[in-house]
Amino acid sequence: GLSSTRAAELLARDGPNTLTPPKETPEIIKFLKQMVGGFSILLWIGAILCWIAYGIQYSNDKSSSLDSVYLGSVLALVVILTGVFAYYQEAKSTNIMASFHQMIPQQALVIRDSEKKTVPADQLVVGDIVEIKGGDRIPADIRLLSAQGCKVDNSSLTGESEPQPRSCEFTHENPLETKNISFFSTTCLEGVAVSIGVLFFIIAVSMKYYVLDSIIFLIGIIVANVPEGLLATVTVALSLTAKRMAKKNCLVKGLEAVETLGSTSIICSDKTGTLTQNRMTVAHLWFDNQVFVADTSEDHSNQVFDQSSATWTSLSKIITLCNRAEFRPGQESVPIMKKAVVGDASETALLKFSEVILGNVMEIRKRNRKVAEIPFNSTNKFQLSIHETDDPSDRRFLVVMKGAPERVLEKCSTIMVNGQEQPLDRSTAKAFHTAYMELGGLGERVLGFCHLYLPADEFPATYSFDVDTMNFPTSNFCFVGLLSMIDPPRSTVPDAVTKCRSAGIKIIMVTGDHPITAKAIAKSVGIISANSETVEDIAKRLNVAVEQVNRRDAKAAVVTGTELKDMSPAQLDELLANHSEIVFARTSPQQKLIIVEGCQRQDAIVAVTGDGVNDSPALKKADIGIAMGITGSDAAKSAADMVLLDDNFASIVTGVEEGRLIFDNLKKTIAYTLTKNIAELCPFLIYIIAGLPLPIGTITILFIDLGTDIIPSIALAYEKAESDIMNRKPRHKKKDRLVNKPLAVYSYLHIGLMQALGAFVVYFTVYAQEGFRPSTLLNLRVEWEKGYVNDLEDSYGQEWTSYQRRYLEWTGYTAFFVGIMIQQIADLIIRKTRRNSIFQQGLFRNKVIWVGIASQVIIALILSYGLGSIVALNFTMLRPQYWFVAVPHAVLIWVYDEVRKLAIRLYPGSK
Amino acid sequence: MLQALNDKVPRYRDQIPSPGLTVFPKPVTALDFSFSVSNPESYRGYINDLKKFLKSYGLEEQRNLTDCPDRAFFEQKRLDYTSCRFPLVLLEARSGVDDPGFGYSTGSPCILVKMNRKIGLKPQGEPRIECISKGENTAVLSTYPSNGTIDLKYFPYYGKKLHGSYLHPFVAVQLIFGNRNNVNEVRVERKIDGSPNLKIRDDRDKFLG
Repeated sequence: GLSSTRAAELLARDGPNTLTPPKETPEIIKFLKQMVGGFSILLWIGAILCWIAYGIQYSNDKSSSLDSVYLGSVLALVVILTGVFAYYQEAKSTNIMASFHQMIPQQALVIRDSEKKTVPADQLVVGDIVEIKGGDRIPADIRLLSAQGCKVDNSSLTGESEPQPRSCEFTHENPLETKNISFFSTTCLEGVAVSIGVLFFIIAVSMKYYVLDSIIFLIGIIVANVPEGLLATVTVALSLTAKRMAKKNCLVKGLEAVETLGSTSIICSDKTGTLTQNRMTVAHLWFDNQVFVADTSEDHSNQVFDQSSATWTSLSKIITLCNRAEFRPGQESVPIMKKAVVGDASETALLKFSEVILGNVMEIRKRNRKVAEIPFNSTNKFQLSIHETDDPSDRRFLVVMKGAPERVLEKCSTIMVNGQEQPLDRSTAKAFHTAYMELGGLGERVLGFCHLYLPADEFPATYSFDVDTMNFPTSNFCFVGLLSMIDPPRSTVPDAVTKCRSAGIKIIMVTGDHPITAKAIAKSVGIISANSETVEDIAKRLNVAVEQVNRRDAKAAVVTGTELKDMSPAQLDELLANHSEIVFARTSPQQKLIIVEGCQRQDAIVAVTGDGVNDSPALKKADIGIAMGITGSDAAKSAADMVLLDDNFASIVTGVEEGRLIFDNLKKTIAYTLTKNIAELCPFLIYIIAGLPLPIGTITILFIDLGTDIIPSIALAYEKAESDIMNRKPRHKKKDRLVNKPLAVYSYLHIGLMQALGAFVVYFTVYAQEGFRPSTLLNLRVEWEKGYVNDLEDSYGQEWTSYQRRYLEWTGYTAFFVGIMIQQIADLIIRKTRRNSIFQQGLFRNKVIWVGIASQVIIALILSYGLGSIVALNFTMLRPQYWFVAVPHAVLIWVYDEVRKLAIRLYPGSK
Repeated sequence: MLQALNDKVPRYRDQIPSPGLTVFPKPVTALDFSFSVSNPESYRGYINDLKKFLKSYGLEEQRNLTDCPDRAFFEQKRLDYTSCRFPLVLLEARSGVDDPGFGYSTGSPCILVKMNRKIGLKPQGEPRIECISKGENTAVLSTYPSNGTIDLKYFPYYGKKLHGSYLHPFVAVQLIFGNRNNVNEVRVERKIDGSPNLKIRDDRDKFLG
């Protein structure tokens, strides 16, 4: 390899080994895109209409007011601000992606100074020799110097590393995806807004209102109907959740994934590392004709089996000595279970097991010096080592051996029971076999242990052992015990599985492991529940052939990769549809794709975990691809929608819960936002139909949509989950939309109308107390708006100049605004839950809601009392008592909603 | 809620801080009067408007009203409220009695300026409506009753319900143009003067006192 200094020189000459990022969409285009999407277009139209309206006004009358110009400017400002915000959010999520890249930096194993070193991939220089193993992304343009059996990996790598860098793909997808939600949730609204607007425009024109008035009216309808703040709110809510999930070890790449995750109905999970701890652990021991259970929890702290037997003393000695694994130096302060070990998985397990129980293993080994050793190999299937004993008076050598139980037993003539050697007779051999089969049936890897003390006269201390010629006995050993190991399930997984089950999510285990092991793990975590049987189990119980069993009787199924290969898609569909608990064992990663496609044919939203390069197609195909953060390859990570930082299955379930929560909360936010649209729309309809002076101005509406309502609707995203969140069936992605009919009807027609009514009461109160009774107001509109009528008579005979009327109209706007605002507080409170009573959910659990309410009131107060003197804003100082007129209506809304929720709880299912 | 309202006086009167002034005839576009002496059609609307306004001031209509003492508030506490007469004689030639054309036909048009009703208003001092002509083409303005004074006896107003027969006091203004050009344009500004509690200048409301 190169020397470090040479590498540094080359690095300085050539620059870091990074690709010039693919040509990205220029920022300005991205920005402009945000400006013209969706509702923005509508608002632009509104703004332009405003300016046109002013043009018409101005050509008619030079002294016409600038209101339309203000309004147009405000609308334009709103679009620009929303655009800037959306752009900022997008930039931020791109940054999150970038930081994600940094979180998992691409490393390359490079040979420098004749040593293997791990360096960041961008530090590679020309001439470096790089080692690549399967799953790595090729760190640079390289020439293969040698390829040993990595041919397949290499080809799949080239297949994966098609020029589609994640960042690019992300920046393309994300805006689309993020928009998708608001798009799809809002498309129908948008349609409604335009059609209502146009419809009434036509009505208005045909009712012979001036075209100008109709234009202004059209603008009003557009503004009232477009939820200006919604896009921002939804984006913020999703980002908040994504952040929260990142804290819980789910790194979500696209905001849409958050929401899809909530609708997951099938999770296809890997076994190793995801459901299990991904480390071999001693699970059972068998000695003295007895099976002992070892603690397999994450810290091993609780070893309760009987350690008093002399057999155990011998066994523990063999475990300790016949082991080549060693702790890496310099880890004194690290807990035993977390220490890094040099050695294979089984030896590591044994080393840690003995370290926990016996204490310093290295010290014990030092005292029992190793004189010779035969390492494990697949032909021998055993491992043997010869040690001096730590007893100075005992000059004998001790030969210890471990290996495949049947091979070990062959070499034994005696067996140790309670510390005494007994001849190995038929009954003890049978006991051994029973134990072996039992442990093997649990899917565990079983090892046998035996030892032999060499007689001191034949093998004196100076004896030279030669492992090649085997100048020592290798038979007539004394059998000591069996020990079985398993990769145990993570302790949090069974709970997570139960949660999934109650949430109606089906879990399918896909593993390359042996079916027995797979089934055992599935049983222990509850993927196959305790009382369900596979076809084979039923056959065994009924003592009939497997073919005779009705496949539908079996709830569970264990399918191997070979069986899967022979299945037709129809058969696979039948399998997936008829069995609720499925384990795929001995499968190849490619088959994962087939399974995912099968699930998707069942109309399911499938989440799939994967870590290898070969998993990438399945991850891409799945609705939610989940890559493992620790063991995952770069290819898998870039294909996935989500990365599990801790590789833990339970985190997926947390993610699902968060996804469901945010879906619920977004629904709440949208319901909250939509409600007031009716209260904002009604004034315009009533204005045209009943001829009242305009109850609320367009600018005032904007102040509700973008002022008082913003923080409360974001606050709903902080709402805690309702108790049934994980007891519901997964929602059907196509049927259960974010905005469905009941939600729209309830928001618009029930609460919306109540709110409109309440706001009108405030409006009428203000007018009546100033002298215009409702009866007088009726059809007053035309006179009211005539600028030259300066003696409009009210109900009491007083005469009003047009400016005085205008001022009263603004007071009316303010009153209507306050009416809506007060009732939106009630709306906010009732939206906290969908089914549960507010009192069940707790009024004070979500503190942010109260921040929201406070912000509403404070903004309204500022608008009325602080900015009441700014003409363009159309706000006036409202008498304090008018703030309370709508309170009874707010209470009414609350009570009405509590009654509805009570009805829902009492009569679930009915509509 | 409506029952709770006083049907004689609105609860709040703060939105009309000062009574506005209304000009008759009512112009079609904002505040522009334009007519041509030679074309009677162009000012017929104005004359009709004025006649309509003055109709309730006819002698017949005023018969039931009271002759109130001048220069004092006409405060009433009894159940049957009555209103003060506003004899058109005060307007002299502008009453339309002698000249049905209100001066429009002779090129010296007459406009009427009335003070808007406001319940309970008691102007202080001696309120009068002052008109000043502005702009390049000045015209001679003569106001009737002289000085544009509005007598205090027309105050206070007790509201439609109690005071249904109430007659506005108003002032007639005649514009006599100095030159006899065919095209005359003149801006007239009028305001209430002489009453401290009515003199409010508000740029936003041109029609305020």
